[in-house]
Amino acid sequence: MGRLAITVLGILGAVGISGLIFIGINKLFDLTQSRYSFFSGLVGAISAGVVFGLLWGNRMLDSPEMATLVAVVVGGGVGFALGVVEDRMQRLAIGVVGGAVLGLLAGFMAAETILPSIDPVTTAVGVLVGAGLGLAVWLLGGRDGDIVRNVLVGTALGWLFGAWLAAEFDGTRAGAIIVSLVLGILVGGAIGRRPRPNNVERSEIALSSRKYIFLTPALVFVAAALVIPLGRTIWLGFLTGNPNDLQWNGIENYTKLFSDPDIINFSGFTDMFTSGLFWIAIAVIAAGVVVGGVVGRRLGHSFEASPGSLSLMAGGAALLSFAVFVNIRGTIANNLWWIFSVIIFAVGLGLAVAVLADRAKGENIAKSLIFLPMAISFVGASVIWRLIYVARPAQDQQTGVFNTIWIKIGEWSNSATATVVIAAILGLVIAGLLYLAWRGWQADAQAVVGSSLAVSLMLAWLIYRFVGPGIGGFVVNEATGTVIPDPVLFISGNAPWNNFWMMVVFIWIQTGFAMVIFSAAIKAVPEDLLEAARIDGATESQSFWRVTVPQIFPTIGVVVTTLIVTVLKVFDIPKVMTNGNFGTQVLANEMWERAFTQLDFGLGSAVAVVLFIGVLPVMFINIRRMQRERLG
Amino acid sequence: MRRLIALLLALALVATACGGGTTDEETTTTAAPGTEETTTTEAMEEEPMEEEPMEEGSLEGTTVTVFSSEDGVDEATGIQRALDVFAEEHGMTITHTGARDFSDQINAQAAGGNPPDIGMFPQPGKVLDFASQGFLLPLPAEVDAAVRPQWPGGTLETYTYEGDAYAVQVKTDYKSIVWYNTQVFEDGGYEVPTTLDELVALGNTMIADGQTPWCIGIESGPATGWVFTDWMEDMMLRVEGPEAYDQWATNELKFDDPRVIAIGNTILDIWNAPGNTYAAGGSIAATSHSSDHGQPLADGTCAMVRQASFFAAFLPEGTSVGPDGQVNTFYFPNVDTNSKPVLTAGNAASAFRDAPEVWAVMEYLGSTQYAEERQKAQREIKGGDASGFLTANLDVDLGLWNELESAFIAELLTADPARFDVADLMPSAVGSGSFWTEGTSVVNGDKTVEEGFAAIQASWPS
Repeated sequence: MGRLAITVLGILGAVGISGLIFIGINKLFDLTQSRYSFFSGLVGAISAGVVFGLLWGNRMLDSPEMATLVAVVVGGGVGFALGVVEDRMQRLAIGVVGGAVLGLLAGFMAAETILPSIDPVTTAVGVLVGAGLGLAVWLLGGRDGDIVRNVLVGTALGWLFGAWLAAEFDGTRAGAIIVSLVLGILVGGAIGRRPRPNNVERSEIALSSRKYIFLTPALVFVAAALVIPLGRTIWLGFLTGNPNDLQWNGIENYTKLFSDPDIINFSGFTDMFTSGLFWIAIAVIAAGVVVGGVVGRRLGHSFEASPGSLSLMAGGAALLSFAVFVNIRGTIANNLWWIFSVIIFAVGLGLAVAVLADRAKGENIAKSLIFLPMAISFVGASVIWRLIYVARPAQDQQTGVFNTIWIKIGEWSNSATATVVIAAILGLVIAGLLYLAWRGWQADAQAVVGSSLAVSLMLAWLIYRFVGPGIGGFVVNEATGTVIPDPVLFISGNAPWNNFWMMVVFIWIQTGFAMVIFSAAIKAVPEDLLEAARIDGATESQSFWRVTVPQIFPTIGVVVTTLIVTVLKVFDIPKVMTNGNFGTQVLANEMWERAFTQLDFGLGSAVAVVLFIGVLPVMFINIRRMQRERLG
Repeated sequence: MRRLIALLLALALVATACGGGTTDEETTTTAAPGTEETTTTEAMEEEPMEEEPMEEGSLEGTTVTVFSSEDGVDEATGIQRALDVFAEEHGMTITHTGARDFSDQINAQAAGGNPPDIGMFPQPGKVLDFASQGFLLPLPAEVDAAVRPQWPGGTLETYTYEGDAYAVQVKTDYKSIVWYNTQVFEDGGYEVPTTLDELVALGNTMIADGQTPWCIGIESGPATGWVFTDWMEDMMLRVEGPEAYDQWATNELKFDDPRVIAIGNTILDIWNAPGNTYAAGGSIAATSHSSDHGQPLADGTCAMVRQASFFAAFLPEGTSVGPDGQVNTFYFPNVDTNSKPVLTAGNAASAFRDAPEVWAVMEYLGSTQYAEERQKAQREIKGGDASGFLTANLDVDLGLWNELESAFIAELLTADPARFDVADLMPSAVGSGSFWTEGTSVVNGDKTVEEGFAAIQASWPS
């Protein structure tokens, strides 16, 4: 209870304080018109306070309370004086003296741990580069500013980097005093050179300040949560070693990553072309192209994206991704395989359900059921599916659904009566399908013909397996001739196919997501378009492929890009189901394992950067499309 | 109205922005002790005697957090109860958390700047890694002096980095044990083997009789593979001897050395012999290291399980253990009967925070009292027989353990040569990294022993 109260009070306090700061800053800039000197003094005090406060917060000051208090008073005084005095030489003097005082203060109060030992070479380089940058900014900025001030600020920053930040922290108090004194004089001089703004300039300050005041909270949030961690991760990717003492490692992490056969392994590349699966996939894709060409010629153009040709080509692409990623192995290959499979299956199934259920009876119930898995977390789903896939030893009763069925099929295919019964049932189904195909042929519905023929072919193959060599989970003991159940290790073995069984979990969840979005898009297709198509004599399938699909094409793009990003980052499913063992590693889990299990932040960050670069083009396309939509 | 909403939104935005700010601050304040620690570490190395004397009563109201790898309900409760005894005496609070993926978690917590006060490490190698990386604090002289005489010589040396001991041992495991089903042995007329050859021959006889000799599984979450490394160690210690074993620990004897590869192949030949292995998860790599074996061993589905002393905790409730019980143990035999090399392991507590209450708890963790309190609690939780908890603390009252386990402790204290689990001593990138993962690939048949061990050798930090 006490903790809760403290937390609530803390949040209220934070909200209150941030609100007050926000209002206070707005009020502060209101003062530019009416009481400029007061405004100037406050800005001076706050700036000095922030600088010393940062030093304080980073434990860089001895007796920080005293130092910060003095700095605030000095800063306030300098600011106030600059708000009153008009004379240029006097202003310069005030700036330089004020800067020198603050510099001396910082130098005397600097903590023992940060005293720099000045290296003349790096200092000179820093000063030259800084001054050059200041000059460059002046040149690029249209040459209308104060060149001296630009050079002064550049030199000051270069001095700070060269003499202090790049130095070893084992120097003397005198070094610290010299560095901070010079820094103070340079910065003070730059401030002192700025002339006192007249009335018009002051109102400009008041006006242009507002946009920054309103933007700052959001920018701070984005920077703290996103930009800074990203930059740090990229930086860490070039380091190596003990997390408390990381050393520069160049691109070594990346070369190590891409030469690791566990990350990407092309050694099976040539096997791909000898695998039957590869050629079957090519054949299926070719069949899709042929069907599209034939249908297209009948309709008078070169290629028609008919349902038959598209589904053949999609199926072929899925098979091809299998053929490719079964032979090219490694973490990166696994991730790519995930992308292909999940996109093809989730988008295909989602679209199919959305279309078929559209305005059908019981549409809502069907869609709710398919959407339901979306409510389950990836971790929960993985635990459920692990139980579905589980394999027990051969002599035990199987508890996983898939293995129970598979072993039962094996028993049937080894029993004569069961084989006859099953062959008879399947034969009847084939007869029915053939009749359907005949009816479809007469009605010129090629999709019906194609799918019934395809399914009856598969069933015929099943009959052959049942009657002939047998099918299902069993092995025959050659010596005794007894049939022994042979469970399948769906996830914890059978690499690389176990990857697909894990993708099934993801598809199971994400099909609902794709379906809901597609369903909404289909319902948003204007009725008059469909009606016009119907009046023109389009069939149901033609109006879908030629009217609805072009209309929902942007939605398909959104779903695909969203899925790509989610799939690339998949972590929970491999973590829970195999923890990346058995050849199922993915990039996100690889990152975790390298960074936290092996405590190699450099390599882990490098994996994170690879993942980020993978997501980047997709995000880019997404943002571009959003911008186009806003414009159009 | 619209203006009001806009104002509210703006406020909410600021609140989130600044809310982020405050949490940042909170984390930095919790991280602050971490940064201080490193400085105090240095300070303490210079002047170890500057430590404040620990006064009783000054611990009133303090809180100490303990994080360990023991997440089993019985074990975690045992630890918590033993800690509570001390906490109540001193009016303080000690909370224990156990996590199965301790080795991942502790890395993330330490590197992220919010470690527990005390971590109980299952691997001395990890303690030494962390000590060299500046995460841990060396034991103050008083704690060292109070704990050292209570343990066999060499115990604290295991946790010593650059002259300072960093941890106290809180639990000792005796690993060279084979658990067997007495009924199966009786029915089959099998003799307890006294040499390694006899053990292998016994397995073959059982296979010929249609009895599955072994239950084997190496699955253990992120630590999957350690059972294989245990077998490797026991076999190395026996076939190649203690000297080779020590060279192996320091990588003088390389992983891709033919001698090491031969051991790996020997083990896999035994495991993969048809009819040899019962793996409840369908394959060795998918079967849990211990929890999947308790029931099959008690049922006689398999005759033997090679597992450390804590395996008693995984036997089904009510299983009697001992010479007259359903399950008994024998020593994992050596190549000959001239010596009895023993493989041990242990959990060690090490401190992340420098405070009198933390050091008081550390001293307690290394004490006889802690070991006895934990044994009492855990034995009671387990139903009054085997507790699964062993200690090598010299002064414990052996009467608190049952016959079997007190015999284990006696063997632990007299073992010669005793060797610490080598995987726990190796750098954690190997010992709790590639040795496990590559070992799993090898066991699973994804890689040959040569390929897998070459990869382990390649991962040894230079």
